[in-house]
Amino acid sequence: MFISISIPLADETRVRPYTIASSPEDGDLFEIVFNRVPGGAGVAWLFERKAGDEINFTGPFGAFTLERAPERELVFIAEGTAIAPIRPMLRRVFEQKPGHPVRLLYAADRVEHLLFRGEIEGHAIAHPQFQFETIIADGGQEALYARIMAEVERRWVVTDNDRMRHFYVCGIGAGVLRIRDLLRGAGYERRAVRYEQW
Amino acid sequence: MARIRILFESGEPEQIVEFNPADAPFQHDGQPGSILDVLLGHRIHLEHACGGNCACTTCHVIVKQGHDKLSEASEQEEDLLDRAPGLTPTSRLGCQAVVEDAGAEIVILVPRYTINQVSESRGE
Repeated sequence: MFISISIPLADETRVRPYTIASSPEDGDLFEIVFNRVPGGAGVAWLFERKAGDEINFTGPFGAFTLERAPERELVFIAEGTAIAPIRPMLRRVFEQKPGHPVRLLYAADRVEHLLFRGEIEGHAIAHPQFQFETIIADGGQEALYARIMAEVERRWVVTDNDRMRHFYVCGIGAGVLRIRDLLRGAGYERRAVRYEQW
Repeated sequence: MARIRILFESGEPEQIVEFNPADAPFQHDGQPGSILDVLLGHRIHLEHACGGNCACTTCHVIVKQGHDKLSEASEQEEDLLDRAPGLTPTSRLGCQAVVEDAGAEIVILVPRYTINQVSESRGE
């Protein structure tokens, strides 16, 4: 789910979406995650906000959610800040005490960019059916997605013929669509491969 | 000139826009020449919570006439439409459906509800 924040810039007000990284159960407070990007006027404005400042937003919106964990092996694939929508999904899944394996493949260009790492490792300790694996690849976006693609193909395409897994993929750019196409092309059902492309 | 007639399920009065598809984009959100682009560029409000980037379903419209005069939906648009409430066989995302035919006569219906929406402002 995401909210749309109205960001007043010098010449106009822009509406930009930011994904909620916390769970509905957390109550009225919620968390969003954003990246400081060079030349990003909207995000620069957000970084200048101080505690107590008011901002205008609408929402929540969005269709990339997980209400009930399917009775299947579940695979989450995320990159950098795109862990944001996956984080509440993981919490939801573990609340429901899943009877099937749950896996997270989480990639970033640097170890420091693996967000919520302590919390995710906590899930791995508390839930033996959860397997958390990371990829660090610092050669840019293309290299990062090449690594993710290779790992996805090795684990869930060529190793076995199980096509009952459900996937939730979130990331930035066309790499997300390539992962989608790889999985669907390998025989996973369209609705078993859910994704959000930023 | 292409023409879009816009009906609102909310009961708001219908609107008609005439435009030349070659003049697109009409503003900066959504695909150039898309229904969203045309409407916003002619000061007609259509929700587009993600900024017109094919990442939500708030610009869902039902095409009543002229479905074949629009660009084909991508797999990503179809995946999002799967999650749109009130989906019909001629549903499209306004931000992705580009009016390609310069003589197109299109009629769309803007549904009342979009998914999980609690819209508190309707700024232009």
